Amino acid sequence: MSKRSDDLDRGLDEEIRFHLDQEIQKQIRLGHSPEEARRKAYVRFGGVEPLKERTRDEFRPALVQDFFRDMKVGARMLTRTPAFALAAILTIGLGTGAATAVFSVVNGVLLRPLPFPESDRLVRLFQLDGSNRRNNSVSGPNFEDWQSMTRSFVSMARMSFWGPVAVAGGAEPVLATTTVVSKEFFQTMGVQPAFGRGFAPDEQQLGGVPAAIVSRAFWQRSLDASPEFGRRALRMGDRAYAVVGVMPDGFEYPNGTAVWLARELNPPDTSRTAHNFQVIARLADGVRLEVAQAEISTVSRGLKERHGDGTWMSDAGIVPLLEQLTATSRPALRLLFGAALLLLVIAVLNVSSLLLARAAARRRDFAVQLAIGAGRARLVRQLLAETSVLCLIGGVIGSVTAAWGVRALVVLGPRSTPRLAEAHVDWTALAFALGISTVAAVVLGLLTSLGARDAHLSSTLSDVGRGGTLSRRGVLTRQTLVVAQVALTLLLLAGTGLLARSFVRVLAIEPGFSLDDALIVDLTLSDGGSNFRQRRIAQIDGLLERLRGVPGVTGAAMTSGFPLGGGNYANGQFFEMATADEFKSYVDILRLGPAAKERAGFAGFRVTSAEYFRSMNIRLIRGRLFENTDTTDGGHVAVISESLATARWPGRDPIGRYVQFGNMDGEQKSLRVIGVVGDVREITLEAPPVALLYGFYRQRPNSVWRVSFVVRGPSPETLSRVVPQLVRDVNPDLPFQLRTVRQAFDAALSNRRFSLLLIAVFGGAALVLAMLGLYAVIAYLVEQRTREIGIRMALGATSMDLLRLVAGRGVALAMAGSVAGIGGVFLLGPFVRDQLFLVGPGDPLVLGVVAAVTVLASLTASVLPARRATRVSPVESLRG
Amino acid sequence: MSPRQPPRDDDPEDVLQGTLDMLVLRAIQHEPMHGWGITDRLEQWSEHVLQLGQGTLYPALYRLERQGLIESEWQVTENNRRARYYSLTAAGRRRLATEVASWERLSRAINLVLKAART
Repeated sequence: MSKRSDDLDRGLDEEIRFHLDQEIQKQIRLGHSPEEARRKAYVRFGGVEPLKERTRDEFRPALVQDFFRDMKVGARMLTRTPAFALAAILTIGLGTGAATAVFSVVNGVLLRPLPFPESDRLVRLFQLDGSNRRNNSVSGPNFEDWQSMTRSFVSMARMSFWGPVAVAGGAEPVLATTTVVSKEFFQTMGVQPAFGRGFAPDEQQLGGVPAAIVSRAFWQRSLDASPEFGRRALRMGDRAYAVVGVMPDGFEYPNGTAVWLARELNPPDTSRTAHNFQVIARLADGVRLEVAQAEISTVSRGLKERHGDGTWMSDAGIVPLLEQLTATSRPALRLLFGAALLLLVIAVLNVSSLLLARAAARRRDFAVQLAIGAGRARLVRQLLAETSVLCLIGGVIGSVTAAWGVRALVVLGPRSTPRLAEAHVDWTALAFALGISTVAAVVLGLLTSLGARDAHLSSTLSDVGRGGTLSRRGVLTRQTLVVAQVALTLLLLAGTGLLARSFVRVLAIEPGFSLDDALIVDLTLSDGGSNFRQRRIAQIDGLLERLRGVPGVTGAAMTSGFPLGGGNYANGQFFEMATADEFKSYVDILRLGPAAKERAGFAGFRVTSAEYFRSMNIRLIRGRLFENTDTTDGGHVAVISESLATARWPGRDPIGRYVQFGNMDGEQKSLRVIGVVGDVREITLEAPPVALLYGFYRQRPNSVWRVSFVVRGPSPETLSRVVPQLVRDVNPDLPFQLRTVRQAFDAALSNRRFSLLLIAVFGGAALVLAMLGLYAVIAYLVEQRTREIGIRMALGATSMDLLRLVAGRGVALAMAGSVAGIGGVFLLGPFVRDQLFLVGPGDPLVLGVVAAVTVLASLTASVLPARRATRVSPVESLRG
Repeated sequence: MSPRQPPRDDDPEDVLQGTLDMLVLRAIQHEPMHGWGITDRLEQWSEHVLQLGQGTLYPALYRLERQGLIESEWQVTENNRRARYYSLTAAGRRRLATEVASWERLSRAINLVLKAART
């Protein structure tokens, strides 16, 4: 700040002038001539300029102290109008609270580094096929070539995620999420066991000693946190793995893994088309992502040239690990963060119009201060200090609210969101809260001083006699603020409407099966021994039989892939054959080379029991379903889904055709299509149905280990009391989980429900704030125009006329806001498109309803104060 | 004490400055006053012995205000002029009390010395 403005600010010039004038008059009174008096006064005062300089020196370092003093004054001013202060602080608290809560989740889920050393150097690599489709799984030979031919990476590891596997040998049989990892894995991740050791060389070779490393959580839960874990062995399938190490707390990569096994125990994968591995790598120091991408791309294209049809890989991609882990949560969180910021802006605008109203009441104050030379900068500083007090208190309240809010978000949020459970208000979030509070304070201070400028324009003291009126310009500012609030509110409401309509659309989806609530038993079959096929079949039969024996049960069935997520969804390429044994094996057809393509099709492979389709009410379209007479000895049979029928055999009859699908379960016997059933929605409700081929469990038990049983009849609650004992009767070592069909639907809808709920809350809060803002403006206008209204009434205007006059203004403002808001929807719509389902961002129905709601609410908010106008007594108002 | 001369830039008057501060605080102890009023009052009370270099007053006022001992406010005088009025804060009141107490102790001590020297 310049010296000059400091002087102006303090009014030092004026103070000295006053002093000298007083002294001159005194000297005149003492009998001196005016000239002599003047001279004496100046002499007695001393040099004016050096004095000013010294005074400035005293004053300059005081800016910061001044600001704190201003804040104290500001706080005092606020306590004088507690209702206003409370409203403003709560509104700011609401805005900052919502934004901070959502930020905490965004930070916890999307931004916070992963808990691995230099985790930003970790990347995932994936194959791209000829049509640039991404395959996250990589074949063994391709991985080995990547490893040996690239230099961008310090280390590269492959892993094979097995998912939940039945593990015995711990405290009780459990499903433990298991991943098989190559020897570079722990080094790549930069994490070593906290207790015990990593795999020894003799545990990382073909036929070596089976060993396991477990997560800390698994060690605590299933190994009783025993320091002698080395004595425990985990039984999985027919192998017993000695526990050699326990990972540090929180290390559960990938995907909540509890048990890591060494890949090298198993024979190497020699097939370049068997995609069994996920690949993770650590970038070498100083290598940028783009450089690594270019290198892996070049290497992969070279491999394609060398191997041609021997590999499906045409190119390769690279993505930072954090980005890959959070990819599915990112769009929804981005949307919600945007919504929270909108709410914050609305809150700030709302408080701003409150402040402007109060500035009007304080205009006399401002005018006096300006008139006696307080200076504009001084005034702005005072206002900034006041808004700082408001926003800092609001920010503190917001942070506290956010801490609760985050907990609610964590509970309500979709389970599938990674790291959501760990989200909390941390220092970063508090810094964010402080940041937005500060920005809010500055914006509010500046907006208010913009309004306070009017005080200067009409600052004759006589004019402020009436007090509490805003100039034309102040009114315009307030109205603009209301229009902006309505516009932003409409944006949020439109978002709510679009998500709600999408939700309704999703609910209306025919999932292809229908179940009144039923119980689902997720179970992993026990495998030990050489005749595991018979054992699996016996366990399935045993449980089905027991389930059907429960009184009231009307259906019990088994599938390897229950729809709506959670199933064992394997997909792959099959070939059609002319006769049941045209080729002996899958590989024989592959050897045909390009000619094999003619026969190829693509489908998911599921294995079910005979009653599955009837129990799930999946429609039979042609042919027949499985019968228990379809036995192991006879030819294998398959039921296919409608979309597979139309994809592979358009306009032809698929019944009786032979299919070789040996790459799915290693069973080389051909499958004869016997029936076509309706499509089901599998992974999500929204995704179009996948082409499916169903095998019969008695003929194709090879890939059947994680299965789901569906039981209908009695209520799920009743069933869940008896089912556990039935499972234990079959085999006490079988780990299982119970859930209901309703829960499965809930889980499938949880993402959408969460987004919808949150944005609806934000939209509702925004609507309330905007309407309060509108109400205040209209009420103010009514008050200001009391005289005019009185005259109109005296001239014979009816109540209706007045209502129309006053409320008309409110509705006009709301309409202007709505139009601007709809413009905003078209502008921002493309950014939310990925969150919508069968609804365009400019959906006329949604926009129409939302605009109607806004205008109706505005009408209500305007009519209330307008009714007061109609009760104005003409005589009173004119006298006043 | 004879600050009759206009103050020089290199004021060697730490003690005197402290005294001036005390006098200013005393002048506005009972009612807010503007700058000229303070100089006028100090002159009168001291029976024109203390003739302040009036210009020295303002740095003192600004300093005291910054220290939070006094606060100021623009007001309109009887003659309808605008002037900045200074008044004591609670801290200023406490400071005045301790300053006066220590001044009295000091002057009593000096008096004792002077009397003792005479006998």
